[in-house]
Amino acid sequence: MTVKVEKIEGGTPHDTIMWAGLIAALVCLYLGAGLNLMFNAYTFSFFGGLAAVAAIVWGSDAIKGLCSYGIGTGVPSVGMISLGSGVIAMLIATRFSWYYAPIVALIVAVIIGAIIGYMANDVIMMKIPVMRRSMTEVAVIGALMLMGLAQMTTSSYSLLGLSSVKAGLLGLAPASLGGSFIGASIIAVAFILGAIAVQHPFNACLGPSWKQDRMIMLAAECGFLSMIPIAFMSIAFLSTGAVIVSVIVSVAGWFYTYSQYLCLSKRDAAAWLDAKPIREPEGH
Amino acid sequence: MTVTPKPTGGVGMNPVANALSIILLIAIIGAVWILFGGYTLVFKALIAVILGGALIGFGVHFVPVGGAPAAMGQAPGIATGVAMLAAGAGLAGLFGGAFAVPLGLMTAVVAGGIGGALMMAITCLFVTLIYTYGMGIPSASGKVKVDPITGDSQAEYKSQGTEGHGLPFSSFAGGVIGGFLGGVGGTLIYYALLKVYEDRLPALLAASASAVVPVAVSLAGIFAVGLFLVNAVLAAYNITGTTEGFHDPKFSRFPRAIVASLAASAVCGIVAILVAAM
Repeated sequence: MTVKVEKIEGGTPHDTIMWAGLIAALVCLYLGAGLNLMFNAYTFSFFGGLAAVAAIVWGSDAIKGLCSYGIGTGVPSVGMISLGSGVIAMLIATRFSWYYAPIVALIVAVIIGAIIGYMANDVIMMKIPVMRRSMTEVAVIGALMLMGLAQMTTSSYSLLGLSSVKAGLLGLAPASLGGSFIGASIIAVAFILGAIAVQHPFNACLGPSWKQDRMIMLAAECGFLSMIPIAFMSIAFLSTGAVIVSVIVSVAGWFYTYSQYLCLSKRDAAAWLDAKPIREPEGH
Repeated sequence: MTVTPKPTGGVGMNPVANALSIILLIAIIGAVWILFGGYTLVFKALIAVILGGALIGFGVHFVPVGGAPAAMGQAPGIATGVAMLAAGAGLAGLFGGAFAVPLGLMTAVVAGGIGGALMMAITCLFVTLIYTYGMGIPSASGKVKVDPITGDSQAEYKSQGTEGHGLPFSSFAGGVIGGFLGGVGGTLIYYALLKVYEDRLPALLAASASAVVPVAVSLAGIFAVGLFLVNAVLAAYNITGTTEGFHDPKFSRFPRAIVASLAASAVCGIVAILVAAM
């Protein structure tokens, strides 16, 4: 039996954040896919990135709930198992059509996460009350996040869309499998961008002065920061206009959340001094 | 805020949970046997994935993980977390093995094992150099009086108030064994999934067998990474933080990690195979 190491009181309850994150991620995924289809454009692919940001915000709070118990292996391990189990659920979901895929990813991730949580809690005997629930949540988070990043890169989350390049967009070579999201292993970059973004906020903010709003702002900042390289990688797949929209959304979102995070850090700091360069003493 | 000691992890095994895990494992294997017509490529791949996952889960227990106390010279081992260390060794092995896949299963698996072992050996060597010449601390185990391999006495070199420090020889050797097992397991998973995808993807993507190779390699690689991380983190939870290697008392906990790895790999493996085989 393990005991809580960190205080968990204060801030929005975890259930609220979970439902908000889940619904926001699903709505953003469907908005991106639906609007792209409706206007036959790539412009709305950035909604995938917003889905990833919603999942990361939810993920930071889920990881906080689990890691408050002191799992002994460090916070990053939860980020890694989140994406490790999420990628499997996400890729099986890409076999289904666009209106089933996010739901299938959710269901498969719940199953995989629940079994991993059972293994960790009962077979390995971690005996942490929130273990099963947290493992289920982080698997769903990993799956939705990766699906969102995939949609932002390629405008689609179907296996065919992710494993082939659509011909003739930027005058690139005709359809090939080697240069695609999966074929060129861009999925590995998205994987590690998501894994680091989801584990970093709590890892950076934990401690006696932990405040939920500061951690969540950092989580959103990490999400938008991950969107920026994804937006640049989408140059290979999307039209120029769509790429510009993605870059503007991610840079603007990052700038806003980062400045907000700085304000919150100044609020929570004991004192704030503008550091000056160390001056060399003269005359020696 | 309540300050409590680090979790020690439960002792013993939970018979009900273990039985349920084994039933789940057998059910998945049986379902694949029935659905895919007996001893086929898919069935062989699933068995290889499960074996690979168990090897990873077992191998992690050999790796000397020190965590933050090791960085301060207060505990023996490499100064980082289990997940990072195991993933580093396993992925180095996986990349080594992936390049050797055209030479056949045995060559690929051995190359993967050597890749992982080499990565751990280099890490342990430089960790020891830094501990000895950079931080000025000798290598001494806190868990055993005499090094089980070399027979050197440890207690005289151990500072008071620490659990040992540096990287004793047995931990070094354990790290290399752990890296080997992790590399073998990762490569086995990669090889099995690659064969399934190379077989099934041409029909799925309506492309020639040579055109789907990048997609098959990438899919198998990302699933191998995902399965590796799942098994490594489960084993890390079993160790709960730090271990010295195979001479650490925590090593005796490995059976439950193997049960957990078998069941988790079966679940993740069947989903990964179904991506192409469905």
